[in-house]
Amino acid sequence: MSNMRRRNLIAAIILLLLCAGYAYLTANLPTRAIENTTQPSFFPWVVTVIMAVLSLGLLAQAFLPTISSDTPKTFDVPAKRLIYGLVLSVAYFVSLPTLGFVAGNIPFFAGLMYLYGERRPLWIAAGSILISLIVFFLFREVFQILLPSGILQGVLR
Amino acid sequence: MNPDIIDGFTQASQLETILAVAAGCFIGLVVGMIPGLTISTGIIIVLPLTFVLEPEISIALLLGLYVSGMTGGSFSAILLNIPGTPSASATAIDGNPMAKNGEAGRALGIAITASFLGGLFSFLCLYFIAPLLAEIALKFQSPDLFSLVFFGLTIICSFAAKSLVKGLLSAVIGLAIVTVGQDPMMGTARFTFDQVNLISGIHFLTALIGLFAVPQLVDNFADMMKSETATKNAANIKSVLPKLADLKLMRLPVAIGAPIGSFLGILPGAGGPIAAFISYDYTKKLSKNPKEFGNGSPQGIAAPESANNAVTGGALIPMMTLGIPGDPVTAILIGALLIHGLAPGPLLFVENGEFAYGLIFSFFWANIFNIVIALIGLRYLVKVLVIPRTFLMPTIAILCVIGSYALRNNFFDVYVMFGFGLLGLAMRWLDMPIVPLLLAMVLGRQLEEHLRVSLIASKNDVTVFFTHPFSLFFLCLAAASIFWSFWAEHKSKQKQEHLEI
Repeated sequence: MSNMRRRNLIAAIILLLLCAGYAYLTANLPTRAIENTTQPSFFPWVVTVIMAVLSLGLLAQAFLPTISSDTPKTFDVPAKRLIYGLVLSVAYFVSLPTLGFVAGNIPFFAGLMYLYGERRPLWIAAGSILISLIVFFLFREVFQILLPSGILQGVLR
Repeated sequence: MNPDIIDGFTQASQLETILAVAAGCFIGLVVGMIPGLTISTGIIIVLPLTFVLEPEISIALLLGLYVSGMTGGSFSAILLNIPGTPSASATAIDGNPMAKNGEAGRALGIAITASFLGGLFSFLCLYFIAPLLAEIALKFQSPDLFSLVFFGLTIICSFAAKSLVKGLLSAVIGLAIVTVGQDPMMGTARFTFDQVNLISGIHFLTALIGLFAVPQLVDNFADMMKSETATKNAANIKSVLPKLADLKLMRLPVAIGAPIGSFLGILPGAGGPIAAFISYDYTKKLSKNPKEFGNGSPQGIAAPESANNAVTGGALIPMMTLGIPGDPVTAILIGALLIHGLAPGPLLFVENGEFAYGLIFSFFWANIFNIVIALIGLRYLVKVLVIPRTFLMPTIAILCVIGSYALRNNFFDVYVMFGFGLLGLAMRWLDMPIVPLLLAMVLGRQLEEHLRVSLIASKNDVTVFFTHPFSLFFLCLAAASIFWSFWAEHKSKQKQEHLEI
């Protein structure tokens, strides 16, 4: 089985599972005892049916020999870098409410600079600190959008 | 004369609005010319700013960015042979050979002037067609509106995807996401899992930031910036003002590109790249020197550039009059309007006529400032091409996070944005287009409301969609677009198989 067909197969199975879950939740939606009206579950049922039909269509595409087996060029990026990026992002998003937008952005920015190929420690340190502070104050002072300061609340008044 | 026209012009010509247009044009030119950054990303970056600005100023800023982003895309296409935006792909075919021949300034001047002329033509289309279309659209009833939105979605799927099934699946996923939150008719909470944050649904701007920005940030991990070439070609820029001979040469391509771009802009989903290539092709066929094309023909630059800028005005027509976005940028514009409590659609001209005409005239100013800033500041603007990606990309990443947070001052939206980013990556992996999902999120609630209102009014009689003439017309168009897409897909596969044999 070609690469693209395998991807179609995986996606079709996932979508059919999601469709089943969505249908289960739709079936459990509350109903209203009002005459001549459509229930809140009406549109989700329409969506469920169309999604199921299209997912089956995708499943068929995974087996039909006439379907192009060309694999699209997705990301020309080493897998390692992608994983590091994902781990960095998850760590950032988890810690953001506690650290706040300055203390959280600095390591995230520095990590991204490294992943994008910057190797000079001084540039990474200066860039991450300066840009994080500039962006924070720009939003707070100029755009009047209050961003949480987190652990630096006492310092960034 | 309609007093709204005068009020609209006055509103668009206020100092603050003009400054916003100029700032938008400047940002648009910069964003457009940086390969790997699209106009959508540029708009995402400035989006938080629009939350605190007046609606007319916000829209003026975004329009400036939209118009100039299209022009900016041609700069890197000409100087680097890397289109800054997909719409500038056709420009690179003749633009880069001209730059290599030491005519970078001439090529850029032609691109800027053609963009201006295309934009101006589409302004005239917008000015004359939009109010007329809005007047017709006022006669639409719920079944007609349902069929119209349905047609909008199907045509987007037809244009956006190589595989119609994947295009439609993308749209259906968007419709499923839209059902999260309160039911639009009865207010019943659906799929909220007792989460307060989900009661008002998933904001499509949060989804948009994730869907567009995250895959683009990942794309940029691969280094594709050729700053050395940029600096070398930028050094060759002497004068960008087009000569009279060049202006004469531009008559044919602009006459072809501007109407094609404006027309394709009106069709949801068609967009700049298609308009640019069709115009290029037609100009080549009608040109006296078709052999020059591909080797540095000025007409080969003017045709796609006039077409892709004409798309902008065309795309604003269905957005303003029908509430149907033609591309991601107009979808964001709808989002920006909704944030300010303004709903685009036929009623916009009735209830907020001054604002509607203000928007049209801001578009006019955007085209004026686009040519002025581009011609005057080009030599300095191209220096942006040497900004290290190591600074640029992390800055965009944190701006995306702040943009998501600032929407409702909520960390939940930041997580939603990241989730949509992962979804965007998965869709890219599957070669599934993102645009139908996004537009389904914009149009989904309207689709549901019109469907249910029509059924309630007709006592669940589905023939109501076939007995209303407008509705029947749009359903026929939707069927035709699906059929055409299947046929085109089938033909393309046959061709591919033939080539393989």
